[in-house]
Amino acid sequence: LSKKHRGFQKSPVCQHSFDFIVIFFRHVLCNAKHAGTISFATGEGPMIRWLRELDRLLRGETTRVSALRRGTVEIPAGGLLATMVVLGGLYGLCMGSFALFQEGGPVKAQMVSAAIKVPALFLLTLAVTLPSLYVSNALVGSRLSLKAVVQLLVAAMSVMLAVLASLGPIVAFFSVITTSHPFIVLLNVAVFGVSGVLGLRFLLQTMHRLNLVLTDRYDPEPAELVDSPGSVELKAKSAMPPSPLSRLEGQSRSRAVQGIFRIWVVMFGLVGAQMSWVLRPFIGAPGEPFIMIAARGSNFFAAVLQAVRDVFV
Amino acid sequence: LSKRTLAKLFTPADSVLRGGAHSDVSGRSTLLAGSLIVYGLVYGAAMGSYSGFAGDRVWQLWYSATKVPLLLLATFALSLPCFFVVNSLVGLRSDFGAAVRAILSAQAAVTIVLASLAPVTLLWYASYDVYSAAILFNAAMFAIATLGGQIVLRREYRRLIDRDRRHAPMLVAWLLVYAFVGTQMGWCLRPFIGNPDGPVQFFRKDFGGNAYVVVARLVREQFQSPSFGPSR
Repeated sequence: LSKKHRGFQKSPVCQHSFDFIVIFFRHVLCNAKHAGTISFATGEGPMIRWLRELDRLLRGETTRVSALRRGTVEIPAGGLLATMVVLGGLYGLCMGSFALFQEGGPVKAQMVSAAIKVPALFLLTLAVTLPSLYVSNALVGSRLSLKAVVQLLVAAMSVMLAVLASLGPIVAFFSVITTSHPFIVLLNVAVFGVSGVLGLRFLLQTMHRLNLVLTDRYDPEPAELVDSPGSVELKAKSAMPPSPLSRLEGQSRSRAVQGIFRIWVVMFGLVGAQMSWVLRPFIGAPGEPFIMIAARGSNFFAAVLQAVRDVFV
Repeated sequence: LSKRTLAKLFTPADSVLRGGAHSDVSGRSTLLAGSLIVYGLVYGAAMGSYSGFAGDRVWQLWYSATKVPLLLLATFALSLPCFFVVNSLVGLRSDFGAAVRAILSAQAAVTIVLASLAPVTLLWYASYDVYSAAILFNAAMFAIATLGGQIVLRREYRRLIDRDRRHAPMLVAWLLVYAFVGTQMGWCLRPFIGNPDGPVQFFRKDFGGNAYVVVARLVREQFQSPSFGPSR
């Protein structure tokens, strides 16, 4: 066990909350037949292993400079994609619970459809934005391989979905007790916004670190040398691990590179937003019959503006 | 009540309020949650005693009693998952247990302050029998208790922030989410006091309803009312 991991296990609340999640997934997901056979071989189900990987991503262990030496974020991309589908499905259920309690009777199909469409939204956004991320990386002269870019984007989107799913209970609570459709729309937009911002910060910081590693411009910071005997001051500084979102001090990107990635981030946001509009309805307007995909027309931003106006009616 | 049970009841409360290094009890989450429930029940019962004890009115007392701890714990439970993920993401996972204990102490402090104000509430009930005044008085008591909770929360979090400055924005984020969920939770769990002229009920008939939507509509109605119009 790493030093940090032991610290994590010491705190009982932490332990319980994490165990709860682990047990939950073990029961719900790993009783599947094929998962069961693998779990005999490795001692724990694949879903548990992937969740642990996701946990390491969240805690920043996977994206420390020392862990990025090979120029890639070393994650089981396939496994994390599966985890994304599960987390997105869970959030979709929370989101779709509005349709169960809306005026005009429950629409169960809407809940199922939301649970399918939330993961689809993220996977499709990933597919649409991947080429441009690779191209803009190549354009600024980074040496990231295609595989590294794929893993980076998968990692960032897993972080996004972890944040999204963690906000699921709150969304479900409001969905169950609210009859106002525009309010739920705005709440969901806000929740997706929060998860998107955190995920993209993760992406940009990790990409920056990867590029530093690849160009050998990085000299390890003291916090990386936890195990070596150092002064008391260094120890105190390394008591808290650096987060995956924090900027490495003294290592700044050039203006042009920053500009290019800012444009890409804006594009990512636009693509995600409009993708959600194309795949609508996620929530389902009360009183309207269930449809899988709505007809083309209008756009995400006009709809959000309309929802802002409708909340007051 | 034996001396021992009294001691068991008061020791955690005392250490929550005093905090500091000499409080070894405030470090234990189950004790904190336990005292939150006990003291919440005490104030809730006092609050629900407004409509008396005759017949099935006793039930209102019990309903109100359970609602105070329920309000705090349900809001806490709903807000916890995202707090966990975001704390991990900013690199504060190893402090998460301490952060949760700080938050639980603050919530326990709210109920302890409320319980200490229960006799005052009873005196108010004995003095006036106006329902709307009772609501206002209880709102004032909750405001005072929230202030007490804030004092404990700031003090407990001060230690964490001294250790790592990233705790400061986390505290702000927690308070925002908690207030957002808690407002709605309070709205859902109405009636807290129980109108003596109305039926005894756990939830209102119009249980649903979104506090924020109601407020948004009230705001709009204010601007649309004729007294604000140009004709005046």
